[in-house]
This record gives sequence, structure tokens and C-alpha cells, in this order.
Amino acid sequence: MTTSLAVDVHGLDKSFGRARALDGLNLQVGTGTVAGFLGPNGAGKSTTIRILLGLLRADGGHATLLGGDPWRDAVELHRRIAYVAGDVTLWPSLTGGQAIDILGALRGDHDRKRVETYLARFDLDPTKKARSYSKGNRQKVALVAAFASRAELLFLDEPTNGLDPLMEGVFTDCVKEARDEGRSVLLSSHIFAEVEKLCDTVTIIRDGRTVESGTLSELRHLRRSTVSVTLDGEPGRLAAIEGVHDLVTDGPRATFTVDSAALPNVLAALAPLAPRELVSSPPSLEELFLRHYGVHADAGAARS
Amino acid sequence: MTTTTPERVAAPSTVRVRGHNRYAGLGVMVRFILRRNWLRMLIWLVVLAGMVPVVIDSQRELFPTQAARDAYASVANTPAIAALTGLPYAAGTLGGILNIKLWMTVAVALAFAVIFLVTRNGRAEEESGRTELLRAGVLGRHAYSLANWLVSCGFAAVVGLACAAAAMSQKLPTAGALLMGASFVGVALVFVGVAAVAGQLTRTSRGANTLASVVLAVAYLIRAGADVGAEHGRANWATWLSPIGWAQQTRSYGENLWWPLLLCVAATLVLCGIALAIERRRDLGAGIIPEQVGPRAASALVRTQIGLSLRLQRGSIIGWALGIIVFALFFGGVATAMADLLSADNPIAQAFTGRSKNVLDGLLGYFTMANALLVAAFVLQSADTIRSEESDGRAELQWASAVSRVRWAATRMVIPAVASFLLLALSGAAIGATFGTAVGDRSQTARFMWASLAYWPSMLLVVGVVMLCAATLPRAAATVTWALYGVAVILSMFGDLFGLPDWVSQNTPFTAVPRVGTDFTATPLVVITVLAVIAAWVGLVVLRRRDLTSA
Repeated sequence: MTTSLAVDVHGLDKSFGRARALDGLNLQVGTGTVAGFLGPNGAGKSTTIRILLGLLRADGGHATLLGGDPWRDAVELHRRIAYVAGDVTLWPSLTGGQAIDILGALRGDHDRKRVETYLARFDLDPTKKARSYSKGNRQKVALVAAFASRAELLFLDEPTNGLDPLMEGVFTDCVKEARDEGRSVLLSSHIFAEVEKLCDTVTIIRDGRTVESGTLSELRHLRRSTVSVTLDGEPGRLAAIEGVHDLVTDGPRATFTVDSAALPNVLAALAPLAPRELVSSPPSLEELFLRHYGVHADAGAARS
Repeated sequence: MTTTTPERVAAPSTVRVRGHNRYAGLGVMVRFILRRNWLRMLIWLVVLAGMVPVVIDSQRELFPTQAARDAYASVANTPAIAALTGLPYAAGTLGGILNIKLWMTVAVALAFAVIFLVTRNGRAEEESGRTELLRAGVLGRHAYSLANWLVSCGFAAVVGLACAAAAMSQKLPTAGALLMGASFVGVALVFVGVAAVAGQLTRTSRGANTLASVVLAVAYLIRAGADVGAEHGRANWATWLSPIGWAQQTRSYGENLWWPLLLCVAATLVLCGIALAIERRRDLGAGIIPEQVGPRAASALVRTQIGLSLRLQRGSIIGWALGIIVFALFFGGVATAMADLLSADNPIAQAFTGRSKNVLDGLLGYFTMANALLVAAFVLQSADTIRSEESDGRAELQWASAVSRVRWAATRMVIPAVASFLLLALSGAAIGATFGTAVGDRSQTARFMWASLAYWPSMLLVVGVVMLCAATLPRAAATVTWALYGVAVILSMFGDLFGLPDWVSQNTPFTAVPRVGTDFTATPLVVITVLAVIAAWVGLVVLRRRDLTSA
């Protein structure tokens, strides 16, 4: 690796009693990049982030964070880190504004002006008691505190949980700006569109193990594109073309997948059939992801 | 590919609207509430009704003859008793004495029980969103509320009956026992109504509990004022402004009047009617009293670790301080009167007064210790935030910031340590001041302040043990610490009654402290302090090494 790493994790292990949460997990976040962290519930995303925050202690493996040890140097590192949990719990008797200030003061880089800016952007009323906030509003409190900080590394654990689409847009802008400011971001998420839009690299984990990691285009290259065509004739003939997989026909329409390498040949074979309509889309992150979890990609195609 | 058409589960049909079925599902909700609350209600029942025979038994032993009871009746009507437990009626009978000792406790406790119960199954459910889920099903608008109130009223009735039965089993007169039980129910019914209205007015369960509790406190104070301002042994007119006053005017075991309870029933019906009317008009989830807004930014104080803890515990510290000082004033005020009543060879008196040289000193020493135990409950609750912040998920945010766990936890130990010092000093001085006033000796204030402060090492030990448990047994910490506290209270208050060997009963964290009236020795205080420091230190070391443990 030529670029420096904000987070570098190798072979991380963690067990809770007999349950194995992490089993040799690898994860890298390049400095000044946004790294996506994908996996189903219980795959170990939050456990990893908590280990990186020094809240849990790894049983084995190496983790380096901004050049330090996440457990030993926790307090010093935390001055340079901001964290947004997937389910934010606040002090019910304090207002959102107070909670943001307290979190800023704990880190020691409280900046009232920045806080006001982000309060306005996220449209959050800081005078309400946390008790009366909805889940989305509690999430906004943590997001405002994190973005308003000057932390050089942001841990965002499913941060858009409970935000409306408008606020998700604001969130996307904020993450992009954070990257432009030279900050690094680890974004764990369920929302593929969000990760596709924001992330420079993606790490997919399953059962505490890394199953896929790299840039999005690297990952896509390994996978098949999806092609939809509408033909005048009988679409069943497509099955005979070499390189066509997972063929599904519905009247004159047909959908199938093609290896990236075989795409020119398949298109050449299609031309004599005079397709009236043809759409070819690269594999979405969702398909990449679902493939790793044994769910057949055409389940997604059949829905549309 | 063929697409399968899902089978139609429900064919569209004309929905039959049945008139005004606002109570549909009432029976289901009654069963649902019973299912969720039976244990809670059972515990209240056992504790409240269980006190009746215990108190009758002890009073029978204290006042074994009619002559003893008559003697008590002649001195029972003091302003302190009138203010705290109400004007004594029929103090010359065992039932009347039971009313003096227990009536107010049971009535107020039962009122609190129904307030919490009504809120728990009313506003709290609505706040959490579970009511929404139920109301989206086939459930009438008022069914859940009405079921809630019915169950609470039923619960009160059962407690009242059980108290009456317990009194009858102790051979108290049937008419008086039944009326006593009914008077408990009367108070409880009114507060079912009060809590019902409070649950409609406020938006949060906390707000509902607070509002209803304030009404209860006001009812208590009006009654106290009416009883203190009594003329010719009768409370003044103001007692008719308080539901507690109505129930008290039944004068069970004395004149046995049933009609004041009609006021209780009428008030309950009116209050529930008001609550229904509000519920009919308002939106689900909304209240009538607007939610308060708070400051936009945190003050410089709240931004510090210690300031944050102080701010979070502000209400609790003020509440405990007021309660503890009121009790202290009471302890000091009744000491002389009680000492006159207790004969030195009464076995129960001996158990309470311990090793002191005379009954009065023994009693005061006992009160000072009881006061310290009360302060210890505050200390325990305050120090328990070390664990509750973690189990509630808030520690995660703080530990992920630039504060070490050791500093974080140490700050949360400083608050109970310092606050308990101040509380012990204040409440000790309060005991001394009221006692000193009674005997005309001003030097008692300082004497009792120091006697009370001798318990400070014990407070530090409580803090240390909480720290140790929070670090080593995170999930069980709250249970273990309160259980230990319960054992300490029983050993301290009643240890001598169990016939335990001296080395046990005299060496608990509270009994080992030298009492007023006994010779002072510093050794136990040093030992307790050392133990406290060790416990806290081990706790901090373990906390630094272990994983974050959520609930």
C-alpha cells in the first residue's frame, strides 16, 4: 500500500463467551478516504468499531488507529476521533444542544459556530429535551456533534438509521465535505445506494470475517452485468448463446447476466435477433453483497 | 416465466361500523394488564398487608394493658404526630394505635402504588408507542384506559380487604377493621382518578408521575395543616379539602363513619370522567400541557465531568436532602417523648437502644444511625449511576470521547462522597437542633452533627462497594448492591432482635460506628475507610481492563 492508513486491522478476533463475533477480520481505511463497511446484522460491524474505539478489547490480531493502539492509547486517540452509534442514547433530562456541547467538551474541540451551522443543516431543534426526541432526532444530535468536531477520523455506525430522505441527502453532503477537509470516514451501513454514492473502498464481512474488499470498480469487475432485452421473436432462443446465464423470460422480455469478459460476444450474437430495447447495467453493490450471502441475484431482478 | 398471483386472504367486504364502540376489547386489555403487572401488584399487596399484623403484634407488646394504652392516649396527641400521621382518634384502643402507627404509611404508599400503576399502563405505554400498536388493532378508544383504571381500582380493593382481614386475624373489631381497609381503598381510588387525569394532561410518563405525586403531596400537606390546626381534638375544616382527610375522617375503630368514603367515590368518578372527556378529544400521543424546552447550549459547568454529574443528579440530590432533613427534624422532635414512654426493661427498647448508658441516648443513637442509613440509600442510588450510565448505553458515547474510564468513574464517586458528607452534617445538626430545643440545650446541634459525621466512612464504603460491583459484576451490580444494602439495614436496625452473636451484629458497616452515648473510638472508622479505598481501587482497576458491557 502506498497511501497511509487511518485504520489498519489484521486478523482481528473477538469472542463473547462461546459466541465468536470476529474471526480474523481485516479492514483498512485509507487516510482521507471514505470506506464502506457492509455486512448483515450480527456480522460483527459494531463489534469491530467498538474494538477500534477501545470499548472492547480484542482477543487477537492487530489493530492500528492513526498510528496508535486503540486500547492502550484510547484517550489520546479519542481526541482525534468522532463516533456516531447506530442507536444513540442520550440523557433524557438534558436538551439536544446540551448533549452536543458535552460531547464536544469531552473531546476538547468544541466549536460553537460549527455546531450552529450543522444544527441548521440538519434542521434540529436543540432546545428540546432528549426524552422527547424521535430516533431520527437523537441520531441527528450525534451527527451534529461528530461533523462539528475537528476529528480527523469519523466512525459512523449505520448513521442514517431513522433519518428521512431529505436528511440522508444532507448527510451525504456532509460526508463528502468531511472527505474534502481531509478527514477519513469508516461508514458501516445497510443502505447500498448510500455506500455506492459515498465510498471509495468497500469491505464486506460475514460471520466476523472479511469476504470481499477493494474499490467499487475492482469488485464490480469480478462480477456479471445484468442485461434486459425486448425481442420481437421468442426470447427462449437466448439460452443457446454462449455466456448467457440466469435467463428469465417474461413474454417478449428477457433478463440475463453476462460475465464482463463475455459481453462483446453476447452483444454480437444478440444483434441478429433485432432487439427493440436493450439495457445493460453493471452489478450493483446489492448484488455483490447478496451473492455472498447465498441469496440468488435474480430474486432482486424478479421484483422489478 | 409465469407469475403467481397471491391468494386473496381477505375479500373486500363492507365494514360494519358498530355504533359507538369505544370500549371494544376491554376484557382483553384487563387480562393483558393483569398479565403484565401481577407480580408487581402481588409484591405491593404482601408488603402493605403484611405490615398490619407485624405492627399490631409489636404494639400489643409495647402496650399490653388497657392502662398502658390509656397512658399512651393521653400523650399521643402531639403536634408532631398530628402533622406526620394525623390526629389520633381512639388512641386508647389497639386499632386506634394501629392507625397512628400505620394508617398514613399504608394510605400514602398505596396511593403511590396506584399512581405508578396507572402511569405505567397508561401514559408510559402511549409514550413508548405500544398503545399505537394496540389501538391500530380492534380496540376501542377508551378500552385500554378504562381497563387500566379498573385493574388499579381492583388492586386497591384487594389490598384494602387484605389489610382488613389481617387486622381481623389479630382480633381487632370487625367493623373497625373493615372500615380501615375501606379507607385505604378510598384514598387509592381518588389517586387512580388523579393519575388518570395526569396521564391525559402530560406527554411523558415522568410528567404524569410527577404531576400526580405533587397532587398527593398537596393533599398530604393540607391534611397535615388541618390536623395541626385542630380544635377540641377535631381537625379543622381544611381537612375536607384533602382526599386523605376524607378517608381519615372515617375514624375507624372509633366512631366508624362510612359516609366520608362517598366523597372519595364521587371524586374518583368525576376525575375518571374528566380523563375520558380529554381522551375523547385529544390525539394519540399528545398531551395538554406543553413540553418544556430547555437551554440551547450547555453551560460551562455542565460541560465539565463533575458539572454534568451534578446536573443529572440535581433533582435527586435536592429531593433526598429535603426528605432526609424532614426525617431528621422529626427524629430529634420525638426522641424525648418516646424515651419517656420506653421503660428501660422493655426488651424491644433494649434491642433498639443497644449499649448506651440511658434510654434517651440510646434512642437518639438509634435515630442517628437510622438517619445515616437513609443517607446511605441516597449514596447508593447516586453511585449506581456508574453502572446505569453504562447499561443505558450513554457511557459508550462518553468513553468514546477523550476521557479515561478511571477519571469518568472517579468523578461519579466524588458526587455521592461529597454530598453524603454535607447531608450527614446537615441532618445530624437537624436532629441535634430539634432535640436541643426540646431539652433547652443548644450545644446538642454540634454534638449530633459530629455523631452523624462519624458515619461518613460507611458512606465511602458504600461508594467503594458500588464501584467494585459495577466493575466486576456489571449485569448484576444494581441487584447485588441493593441486596447488600437491605441486609445492612436489617442487621443494623433489628440485628439484636435476631439473637445474632455480638461479633456479627456489632461489626456491620453501620453498627461498628460508635453511637451517641457510647465511648468514641476511631479504630472502626479507620478500618471502614481502608476497606472503602481498597474496594474503590480494585473496582477502578477492573473497570479499566474490562469490555464495555451493555445491559
